[in-house]
Amino acid sequence: MSVLTLREAPPERLDLLHVNPLALSGLSQAEAERLPVGTSRRGLTLGDCFTVTLDGSDTLVIAGGHERLDRVGAALSQGSIRVEGDVGQRLGAGMAGGSLTVTGNAGPFAGSGATGGTITIEGDAGDHAGGAVHAAKAGLDGATLVIRGSAGDHLGDSMRRGLIVVERAGAFAGARMIAGTIAAGSVGDHPGYGMRRGTLLTGGHGALMPTFVETGALDLVYLRLLARSLRAVSPRHADLAAGTPRRYSGDLATIGKGELWVAG
Amino acid sequence: MAAWVKGGATDADGAVTAAAAILSAARTPVFAGLNAEVAAISAAYRLAGRIGASVDSLGGDATYAELGALSRVGAMTTTPAEVIGRADAVLVVGDAPLKTPLLETLRATQPSRGRAAGAARAVHHLAAGASLPVAIAHLRAHARGHLDSDPALLTIARALAGALYGAVLYEPGEVGAPGIEMLQGLVMDLNEATRCFTLPLSGADQDRAALQVAAWTTGQAIRTGFGRRVPEHDPWRFDAGRLAASGEADAALWLASLPAPAPAWLSGLPSVALVCGEADPGAAEVVIQVGEPGREVGGVLWNAGRAALTYRAPAAPAERPSAAAIIERIAAAVVERDAARKDS
Repeated sequence: MSVLTLREAPPERLDLLHVNPLALSGLSQAEAERLPVGTSRRGLTLGDCFTVTLDGSDTLVIAGGHERLDRVGAALSQGSIRVEGDVGQRLGAGMAGGSLTVTGNAGPFAGSGATGGTITIEGDAGDHAGGAVHAAKAGLDGATLVIRGSAGDHLGDSMRRGLIVVERAGAFAGARMIAGTIAAGSVGDHPGYGMRRGTLLTGGHGALMPTFVETGALDLVYLRLLARSLRAVSPRHADLAAGTPRRYSGDLATIGKGELWVAG
Repeated sequence: MAAWVKGGATDADGAVTAAAAILSAARTPVFAGLNAEVAAISAAYRLAGRIGASVDSLGGDATYAELGALSRVGAMTTTPAEVIGRADAVLVVGDAPLKTPLLETLRATQPSRGRAAGAARAVHHLAAGASLPVAIAHLRAHARGHLDSDPALLTIARALAGALYGAVLYEPGEVGAPGIEMLQGLVMDLNEATRCFTLPLSGADQDRAALQVAAWTTGQAIRTGFGRRVPEHDPWRFDAGRLAASGEADAALWLASLPAPAPAWLSGLPSVALVCGEADPGAAEVVIQVGEPGREVGGVLWNAGRAALTYRAPAAPAERPSAAAIIERIAAAVVERDAARKDS
């Protein structure tokens, strides 16, 4: 288990895109400490900000987090990273495999464009978790994103594939969804704004869009399959699909093939 | 030239030296405002590249509402002259466009060119209600024929579908990126059968000029940072308001050679302000009064009517330095400081 211990609060945002178990396994201690992570003219390196302990394994622990640590585990393809603390924007962005765990809170755009692997945030996530960054075609794209606390607005914005499980989400959850599944204890106002396809399963919601129409309380085989797949991640969310939830179809402003399930 | 350092009046050299000291010592300097002529915006970009600053403009949020939708779904746009000449149906989205003089012109005239020439012009209004993006989505559902429950929306949808040349007026900052994407989707749906275009209304600010300078300088929009020497584009990270609120910015340059309200955060960190008119000496640590382009000095500005950059000659020439000249002097002083630091 390799360990990076944060010495003090970083004086500027740090970019950890190139800091992952696979990249570190090929480097000597001195080479790893010279990895550039700063984002200003000062040219901060990994060794300037962290105490580095390497053992070449596929597990990396970042002891001590901060909301200025950007792109932690971004483009991770194998192995695991555990952050004991908070992280900044784009946690696990573009990640393809492996596992990523944050014990604190995450900034905006967590899991954006992630195609595989599992991201777990034990605290809260910022806005646009599992959502698309500026000019990107899709948000979460196949990975699994688990948020034990609450998520901000625009959760799963333009998500294309994969699963998001969250305790509470803000407004515009599942906006512009292309496909994929979101299971939420509750969502805020206007869930599914402009969604084309995809599934939103929730225990409660704020104001609904007038462009969603109720299509009845249904007991479908599909729901039992969804409950079974959710049970492995979160039994509480699996229970949302267990009864006969009400189904709403939308967003009728688009092709309207999305669905919003509200547990009874 | 009038200049102040920490509220006390000083001369040009003193102010420029103080400004260079603030900016060259900073780790994460931020340039904001950019409500200025093209030469000054250009000079600000050169200085930002030298000291590793990030750049944002006055109406950055509205600019990104527009760009966010444009980058994802594209846009069907037109110009004010085309709307006046051809539109037989106009839809005003939200309340901000109700105040524009263009709307008065549209109500007073009728189309004179194209297929709708001579026809009457109908002006419809989509009120925001509880949420403007939701109202737009609701209208689009009616236009697609998926819903027919709201008579007012049905009337608007039928008017746009039946028009020979429809025009949709909106203000990007009021609608927001998701709403604009929905609106562009509505207009694209309508273009399956007839002609319909959007006209985003920009304010009096020079955001469009800043956007053009940004594009030809860095290949990206505003909200670009030069901390790692190459221009990095990140609309979230380089939002000047966010940088100041989070404490990441440790120095600021406020550029407003055209009148603009200085943000409250400016006095909270070491800052340099280049402002026109009656300057407030306490607005920033270093305040330098510069000539207002088009009034006291000449300069190239965004011309909303012609949707182009045009030169404005000074209407009342005054002995004031241009903002571009001041920024060049600050840049020269920064170079001197860097050279002195290397020698010592």
